[in-house]
Amino acid sequence: MSSTTPSATRGAGPAGTEGVHEFTATGGDWDQISAEAERLGDERIVVNMGPQHPSTHGVLRVVLEIEGETVTEARAGIGFLHTGIEKNMEFRTWTQGVTFCTRMDYVAPLFQEAGYCLAVEKLLDITDDVPERATLIRVLMMELNRVASHMVAIGSGGNELGATTMMTIAFRDREEIMRIFEAVTGLRMNHAYIRPGGVAQDLAPGTTQMVRDAIPKIRNGIAELEKITLANPIFIGRQQGVGYLPLAGAIALGAAGPILRAAGLPFDLRRTQPYCGYETYDFEIVTETGADAYARMVVRFREMRESLKIVQQVLDRLEAQDRQGKHPVMVADKKIAWPAQLAVGTDGQGNSLEHIKEIMGTSMEALIHHFKLVTEGFRVPAGQVYQQIEHPKGILGVHLVSDGGTRPYRAHFRDPSFNNLQTLGIMCEGGTIADVVVALASIDPVLGGVDR
Amino acid sequence: MADQGKGRSPARTGTGKNVPAKTKTKAKAKAKAKPDFDVDGDSDKNAVQEFLAPVAGFGVTMSTLFRPVVTEQYPFEKKGTYPRYHGRHQLNRYADGLEKCIGCELCAWVCPADAIYVESGNNTPGAQYSPGERYGKVYQINYLRCIFCALCIEACPTRALTMTNDFELAGTSRAEMIFEKETLLAPLRSGMLAAPHPMIEGTDDDDYYRNEVTGPSLDQVDWVRERRPDDETLEAAAAAAQRAAQATVGGAE
Amino acid sequence: MGLEEKLPSGFVLGKVEDLVGWVRSSSMWPVTMGLACCAIEMMAAGTPRFDLARFGMEVFRASPRQADLMIVSGRVSHKMAPVLRTVYDQMADPKWVISMGVCASSGGMFNNYAIVQGVDHILPVDIYLPGCPPRPEMLINAILELHKQVIKGGPLGAHREEINQQVEAAALRATPTHEMKGLLA
Repeated sequence: MSSTTPSATRGAGPAGTEGVHEFTATGGDWDQISAEAERLGDERIVVNMGPQHPSTHGVLRVVLEIEGETVTEARAGIGFLHTGIEKNMEFRTWTQGVTFCTRMDYVAPLFQEAGYCLAVEKLLDITDDVPERATLIRVLMMELNRVASHMVAIGSGGNELGATTMMTIAFRDREEIMRIFEAVTGLRMNHAYIRPGGVAQDLAPGTTQMVRDAIPKIRNGIAELEKITLANPIFIGRQQGVGYLPLAGAIALGAAGPILRAAGLPFDLRRTQPYCGYETYDFEIVTETGADAYARMVVRFREMRESLKIVQQVLDRLEAQDRQGKHPVMVADKKIAWPAQLAVGTDGQGNSLEHIKEIMGTSMEALIHHFKLVTEGFRVPAGQVYQQIEHPKGILGVHLVSDGGTRPYRAHFRDPSFNNLQTLGIMCEGGTIADVVVALASIDPVLGGVDR
Repeated sequence: MADQGKGRSPARTGTGKNVPAKTKTKAKAKAKAKPDFDVDGDSDKNAVQEFLAPVAGFGVTMSTLFRPVVTEQYPFEKKGTYPRYHGRHQLNRYADGLEKCIGCELCAWVCPADAIYVESGNNTPGAQYSPGERYGKVYQINYLRCIFCALCIEACPTRALTMTNDFELAGTSRAEMIFEKETLLAPLRSGMLAAPHPMIEGTDDDDYYRNEVTGPSLDQVDWVRERRPDDETLEAAAAAAQRAAQATVGGAE
Repeated sequence: MGLEEKLPSGFVLGKVEDLVGWVRSSSMWPVTMGLACCAIEMMAAGTPRFDLARFGMEVFRASPRQADLMIVSGRVSHKMAPVLRTVYDQMADPKWVISMGVCASSGGMFNNYAIVQGVDHILPVDIYLPGCPPRPEMLINAILELHKQVIKGGPLGAHREEINQQVEAAALRATPTHEMKGLLA
């Protein structure tokens, strides 16, 4: 990677890199580079915005070469959160894999679960057998998670600029969504709720009403955040023209999600490669033309509102189903369907007494299925699959390779933040140091996904 | 500062198109003929709102002053968790005091974090801890490995392992966070007879699994009285067994 | 430092230690060591629904020089471990560590090549908090447990430094984990 930057950054400072010594850096040993820079006597300082930093959105190292207040080169050092999740998944069954992949992008965990489960279902060839109620619940949870993820993005972005109330308001209204998640899945984060074949349990009774009651609060929260930011001259001054990435740049770097849509391209996988019945919902693909941090913020606000639209449509369908009676939420094939039926009782939450009666008292086959699925899991035919879904941050791709066994041979996730983070260099170079923080917040990387 | 109109948002800089409404929702916003699910912000603002938009943030702050506080005063007021919350585990018992855990180790198999360690032991006639042949002799959950995913409670075939809503689990050392069977076992309720003791006369383990056992029997109470006369649960269990016996006698007549 | 040695030991010093302990616990400022998922719940603990500001802790200091509490929230990879230790060393005494979540406390579900199996391999930990991630109320509970420990008072000044040095020396002398044999050896 050379240090000359393409001069495509609009609105940037007096970037000119003529007459500057070029260094080729491979292997990432920036101490050598900085030593060389010093030796050549340039007025360059290499500053490390280290992994522990309040504004790097996680454990990200950004190495900045600055000249005065202008950034001449920005490189992202990642890997500080590398957990080996994908390797761990090779040693766990397909169902246990859900608990692992959910912890990659921990702000939007249900998307990893959904992408992974859709991929497993493709491999099992049961995509059409997944019950409709399970698909509806998946869409509901995903869209609520999208709103929650954008709130974290906007809130923490504002916090990094110094506007603490953006964070308090965003998280306050995100708590409504966290309550819903807790009521349905039992956990506020990292739910492991979406399973191959369906979802772990049906919605608790009264959930649709709970969601309906929460929607006005969330909407008011979005409105308040917009009021604080969008017309505020300080906010506009800090965000407009900063982190500019035009369409050509975004496509060249593989950036998707709000970054791409803020550059003008209405590309959304829910429309172009629909999954989970998204083609049947009425929602807009939000685009802006500014291609800067401000535009991405506006895109996120409007996407939250579109998600709430989808949520209301899903609630209508769920309530229509409720009126017709009980529907299954797991695929019918007993050799794949996760056998548990949870129920809450006075002694806590565990398998329902009917299920116990069935497996321990009545049906030997049910007991065998229960044991085999819980211990070794189902077998997935050999093959490989690539499934993409529209993650709040961009495109999440799941590549699964099966060798016919009960564990993945390889599970690889194309994480949106990983690819989006590549745009950091081009967004920051030529701008000031303060703009690095703004640009990073507008990319909204989650280092758990970047490093996995 | 005049209220900026709750529920409205300032003009967006993009090209927003209003999709015609298909459904009405029970939203509280003062929507004046607002279509599309009532989630889109109001892009028409009157002149005053337009003029004051740059400082609309002050309106937000001021109006929040007069709204109820959302803070939950934990630990002074504990609001509790939702029923499905994945809290601390509990090993349950049947109504007569026998443990439900049969030592099948399914929970240990399914745990993605390898947080559960189970050793099962054989039930002998003199030491019957659970209905059937085997019981959980050693049962440990390492709470510093447990990820609270609840796969274990979904795996348990007898509902021995359930999750309660307790979450206050902080500790000062790693060793003390490995909960042993004694800590995880549900406390004996009044009327339960402490294990080990034989199953109720004439039952086999299937009757227990079908949840047909409702309390200790007089035979069990006598058995325990012979071997552990100073067992604390004897009195209450004896009373419960007496009541059950009389009820049956009364019913039979 | 000098003052405690000059005061009559016993009752008065005990009272001073209690007072100092109470003062320290009333505005313990955490350093931003948010690593992964637990960081989101730690941030949520600072937000209106749970509000750490009630305990004087809403100010998360980015500079370790100005912080007294390190809440290690999230999985610590081997690449991040030296950074963690550097930040801990830069904190001024007295300092405390809460290891939040199972990944920080023991490696959690990630028992593999990439994750340090418990941040107590590199730092002394005062409170271990299970959960994945622990809900904000659990974090507040852990913080209050720590406050109780701190309020009980503790050694002050030079005495405390001595104890810290002894703890460090013992940790350096202890058998490394990869040489431990366990019960089966």
